[in-house]
Amino acid sequence: MNAASLMKPDPITLSPDDSISTAAKFIMANRYRSLPVVDADGCFLGVFGVNCLLKKVLPKAALMDDGLTNVSFIHETLSDLKERFREVENESISMCMQRDIRTLPPDTPLIETLHTLYNNRASIPVVEEGSCKLLGMISYWNVGEKILSA
Amino acid sequence: MHGEDQINMLFGMNPVWYAGLLFVATYVLIMTERINRAVVSITAAGLMILGGVLTQESAMQGIDFNTLGLLTGMMIIVGIAKNSGIFQFLAIWSAKLVNASPWGILVMLVLVTAVLSALLDNVTTVLLIAPVTLLITDTLKLNAYPYLFAEIFASNIGGTATLIGDPPNIMIGSATNLGFNDFFLNLAPIAVVILVVTMFPIYIFWGRHLQAQPELRQKVMNYREKDAIKDLRLLKQSLLVLALVMLGFTVGHSYGLQPASVAMFGAALLLIFYSLPHDSRKQSKLVHKTFCEVEWTTLFFFIGLFVVVYGVETTGLLNVMANQVMSLTGGDRSVTAILILWVSAIASSIVDNIPFVATMIPLIKNMAASFGGGDELLPLWWSLSLGSCLGGNGSLVGASANLIVAGFADRSGQPINFVKFMIGAFPLMLLSIFISTIYIYFRYLI
Repeated sequence: MNAASLMKPDPITLSPDDSISTAAKFIMANRYRSLPVVDADGCFLGVFGVNCLLKKVLPKAALMDDGLTNVSFIHETLSDLKERFREVENESISMCMQRDIRTLPPDTPLIETLHTLYNNRASIPVVEEGSCKLLGMISYWNVGEKILSA
Repeated sequence: MHGEDQINMLFGMNPVWYAGLLFVATYVLIMTERINRAVVSITAAGLMILGGVLTQESAMQGIDFNTLGLLTGMMIIVGIAKNSGIFQFLAIWSAKLVNASPWGILVMLVLVTAVLSALLDNVTTVLLIAPVTLLITDTLKLNAYPYLFAEIFASNIGGTATLIGDPPNIMIGSATNLGFNDFFLNLAPIAVVILVVTMFPIYIFWGRHLQAQPELRQKVMNYREKDAIKDLRLLKQSLLVLALVMLGFTVGHSYGLQPASVAMFGAALLLIFYSLPHDSRKQSKLVHKTFCEVEWTTLFFFIGLFVVVYGVETTGLLNVMANQVMSLTGGDRSVTAILILWVSAIASSIVDNIPFVATMIPLIKNMAASFGGGDELLPLWWSLSLGSCLGGNGSLVGASANLIVAGFADRSGQPINFVKFMIGAFPLMLLSIFISTIYIYFRYLI
């Protein structure tokens, strides 16, 4: 058994040109944690998820390397956050999607796939070796189902 | 010349040429930044020993453990104290003190940065103040550049004011036995003047145009600075130890207590306060974490550099260079002091001021006989200090703190352009050196 047999093929994807607002509404409505982003040729570009929303509403100074570690002195309301979100909602998701995502080739052995999933703590994209084509996604659910039904 | 009889060169090489070429190569490699500067300096130190210029024993004599001890002690104290949240508290409190007015905040952050830089190291100061600055300017929807520009100047000017403010001063103090009070009484007054004068152009170029909406200012006023304090107990302990260390620096010199002893004892005391309330397992973790915060790269850079410069000094090359400077200035103390001030400033704005000062110290010491004794060198030491510390303002690569601020600006999406910074900073740096020239001349040379 390998990554290809664990993955869910043809996953739901987003386009890098989708607006943050559209993508955010879609993932919130369907309760996704994150979704892969692919271009028109199906090439995997990164992942857009809830973290991106948090990134856009939190102060930049708290998110940067060596930035503020204690933000308990900032007292903002939900409307302040909404206002900050409005400033970026029409930007494309390519502005804030996560690009440094760990991917696996389809022939990755079972244990290595599970180990990567465990360390990554998020769904893993399976990408065709030698190209960037997204073949599927491996989530905790896929793995759990396979183990329980074995 | 030190240990001249010990020189036993490999393959019969000429020690002056070998040490001189190694010294130049070290400088070039440090400047190009292709290889980490600590790696460059300890490799060069190794080559100085392997080549036969120094034995391991004589190399150890060249290492200034007073400088290393003072730097390490202060790094430990600051590494622990920053966990209390005191620095964020000060920045927010000062911003609210001026009712979150944009220009008022700039002035207050400059003051906080300058004072902290005088008492702590510049890099730590800007590491703690720059994120708060970016938060405030982001909230007020203001361009962060004038604030960061002013803070760079404040950190380098503030660092000039005391023995412990900037590594060049630590090195000069250690080499000359000048104490904390000597530095404070001779350099703090001019540092204050330079800081005030520097604020005028900053106000004319940027300050008078800074404006923020009242509702945005209210957001800053809503910050609760007390919540920035993460550990009140640690805050009180840190302030107590810092006060004791400052007292030790001030009065210890009269009792033969070196700054390194004071700083290391303060570090040990704060480590006890910090770790003692916890069980032995947690204590080990806290102590390990604190020692991880010590900037070992900087310390090893210093160690290697001291050995390299000592090697060059041993060959008599620095004595030759000192004589060249003396003949260039006609043996005139005033001309020599002013020349040191300006050359230090220009050099420090382009290259790392630490190797420059490490080289200049023995060079100036070699001039003592020509000027009639060590006491006559005082204006030269103040010139070296002012030039090397203030020169750091001349460009973005002039001081480590500048690069730290530039890094923050970059990560916040408002990168500082090297040339744009230099166009504003270099003339301002020259202005500060011009003021220093007047000060040195009228206070020490006539």
